[in-house]
Amino acid sequence: MAGFDFTNYNRNAALHARGVPLPKATSTGTTIVGCIFDGGVVIAADTRATSGPIVADKNCEKLHYIAPQIWCAGAGTAADTEFTTAIISSNLELHALSTGRKPRVVTCMTMLKQHLFRYQGHIGAYLVVAGVDPTGVHLFTVHAHGSTDKLPYVTMGSGSLAAMSVFESQWKPNLGRDDAVKLCSDAILSGIFNDLGSGSNVDVAVITADKTELKRGFVRPNERSAKLKSYAFPKGTTAVLNEKIISKNDIGRYVSVTEVSVGEEAMEIDA
Amino acid sequence: MAAMFSQNPVMNGPNYSFSDAPRTANGEFREHRFNPYSDNGGSTLAIAGADFTIVAGDTRSTSGYSINSRYTPKVFKIGGTTSSQDDATILLSVVGFAADGEALRDRLDAICKIYRYRHGKPMSVTACAKRLSTILYQKRFFPYYVHAILGGLDEEGKGAVFSYDPVGSYEREQCRAGGAAASLITPFLDNQVNFKNQYVPGSGTGHDLKEREVVPLVRRDAEILVKDAFDGAVERHIEVGDGLQMMTITKDGIEEVLLPLKRD
Amino acid sequence: MFMARSEYDRGINTFSPEGRLFQVEYSLEAIKLGSTAIGVATSEGVILGVEKRVTSTLLETSSVEKIVEIDRHIGCAMSGLQADARSMVEHARVESQSHAFNYAEPLRVESATQAICDLALRFGEGADGEETVMSRPFGVALLIAGYDEDGPQLYHAEPSGTFYRYDAKAIGSGSEGAQAELQNEYHKSLTIEDAETLVLKTLKQVMEEKLDSKNVQLASVTKGKGFRIYTDEEMAVVVERLPAN
Repeated sequence: MAGFDFTNYNRNAALHARGVPLPKATSTGTTIVGCIFDGGVVIAADTRATSGPIVADKNCEKLHYIAPQIWCAGAGTAADTEFTTAIISSNLELHALSTGRKPRVVTCMTMLKQHLFRYQGHIGAYLVVAGVDPTGVHLFTVHAHGSTDKLPYVTMGSGSLAAMSVFESQWKPNLGRDDAVKLCSDAILSGIFNDLGSGSNVDVAVITADKTELKRGFVRPNERSAKLKSYAFPKGTTAVLNEKIISKNDIGRYVSVTEVSVGEEAMEIDA
Repeated sequence: MAAMFSQNPVMNGPNYSFSDAPRTANGEFREHRFNPYSDNGGSTLAIAGADFTIVAGDTRSTSGYSINSRYTPKVFKIGGTTSSQDDATILLSVVGFAADGEALRDRLDAICKIYRYRHGKPMSVTACAKRLSTILYQKRFFPYYVHAILGGLDEEGKGAVFSYDPVGSYEREQCRAGGAAASLITPFLDNQVNFKNQYVPGSGTGHDLKEREVVPLVRRDAEILVKDAFDGAVERHIEVGDGLQMMTITKDGIEEVLLPLKRD
Repeated sequence: MFMARSEYDRGINTFSPEGRLFQVEYSLEAIKLGSTAIGVATSEGVILGVEKRVTSTLLETSSVEKIVEIDRHIGCAMSGLQADARSMVEHARVESQSHAFNYAEPLRVESATQAICDLALRFGEGADGEETVMSRPFGVALLIAGYDEDGPQLYHAEPSGTFYRYDAKAIGSGSEGAQAELQNEYHKSLTIEDAETLVLKTLKQVMEEKLDSKNVQLASVTKGKGFRIYTDEEMAVVVERLPAN
């Protein structure tokens, strides 16, 4: 049950040697940053997910929950950042339960680096780990091969240089909360506009001793412009080659049917 | 004798016991290669109307995940008599490797100017189209790494769009998208310019439905399609953005507009 | 003209102190020894005519080629050293094919004429590193007839490399008399048939031999049929039409 399934390893290696390309993983091309301030820590991320040069998701979430006061910003292979943070989150919860203490950021960071080192970089997760625990405010970066850093301000992902240029020119010690949020947001914006792997919106999480505030869509500087005309087709434009109607009553005999109201994550469609 | 102990094995000098030629992991000689091409991203689009032709392109130039410039034109006026190209009647758009694109543009423009001196008349768009094809094919084994689209008005004053592959195969078309987001824009154009997959409602059932009749677009509608096509491409392709350069050829000359696109 | 004759006529591209290139001027003289060739342009097309100078009854007259095709829409008549004309015509043919290949359109008549004249001064020692093709100027003049977007046109190209467009032009030994005749007879509303008659009538006046359908040749360039050399039957019809005297 635990761990990865390697049953197709030999088959895939043989296929690859004969020229079959590897499947393309969705990468969060990404800008992620973190910055500590007096009394807490801020992490921020853009919301673009890419698959090669194509934008796979315009508004994805790169800020991952680990524990109530520990959050991770993830760059690299989307699946790896999601699963790695989820596994560590679970294990840290178990650890907190068995110790009866709040989890610590160093513990989280150590578990992450040990997990990633074991897989020698094949798990492509690049993380910014931030949190507040009884020992204080912490901010780390964890690379896919397992190395870590502890710094007052950090950037990762393809937009890390663009973001770091903001920190290196504007960061100063003893920032206030709002200044830190503004600085992180500006760093992400620099990534959004100057790095092609990053784009869309800025997500921010502010962690302090008493609470964590997740600001989803903190800045939305890339709203889609309105189409200049309607692309709605007159009814009957598409050829219907054959038609079969199954009523709700009929299908209800095989599966249970429940009405679902359309939520706010409804797909974008033309009127 | 130049040296008592030459390093050169031919001169029987002492040498290392191993070959110093670089090899790959599987023991083959490793060739050192220089790749003269790069991809600067971006997209182009051209639509021919009854009495006009629109040639458009985004103005972003990229390399990898970086933006080289937010304003590098991909659409050029060809064959005018002045450096400002005010009296040009032909447009060339190039997308792919920007250096080759600019070299190609300069070459075609020079040829058009020489043609005017030699033959005492401006080059027609059909002649220019054929010449561009021969220019590209002349570099069959070291191609200009570009997707070129040529636009103008033909001898009857009708809109003409010619599109090329990098080695000179060309065809006259109603519309064509090129570059990074060509695969995103083309199906939109098929549907909105050539009315593909559109049938006349109620004209029959199933396969008997009549296809919607294709009529040339009016200029304003074509311009709207261009803008919407690029807005869509910008949403889903990371190499497209910043600005939309749109040039329209009519019997009165060439008009150029620059519209903003998203910059993320 | 020969008053100032001196050593300056030896150097192939040396000006005399009076500013003349004797070798080029002499080449013009060579043309005056050639058979007469006439061209007449009308609004419908251009007619070229040449005399064949049948010097022997044993000569196969069809082997005398003084009117040749350059492209489907351009032809030319020559007077002077025919061998020289071969290389000029060959050059024009290549130029015309190259233009059609590169531009998918026919070469203009003026451009074809210019291409031929570009060759004319490539004689002498040549500049350093430049390939010299000829040891002397051409000894032939051409009447180039063609049809393009500007309609039917007739050009006269000389060994000096200059060319002019004419409504009607005669070259070769009988050119002086023939040109005077053309001057009198030409008018803008000439039809193709009028031109055929005018060309042959003029040739007849300046030829030493008695004109018949074997010792003259006609060709036409028109919009519909392009360049065409007249068949023996067609020649006979035109000769038949000539006023007898």
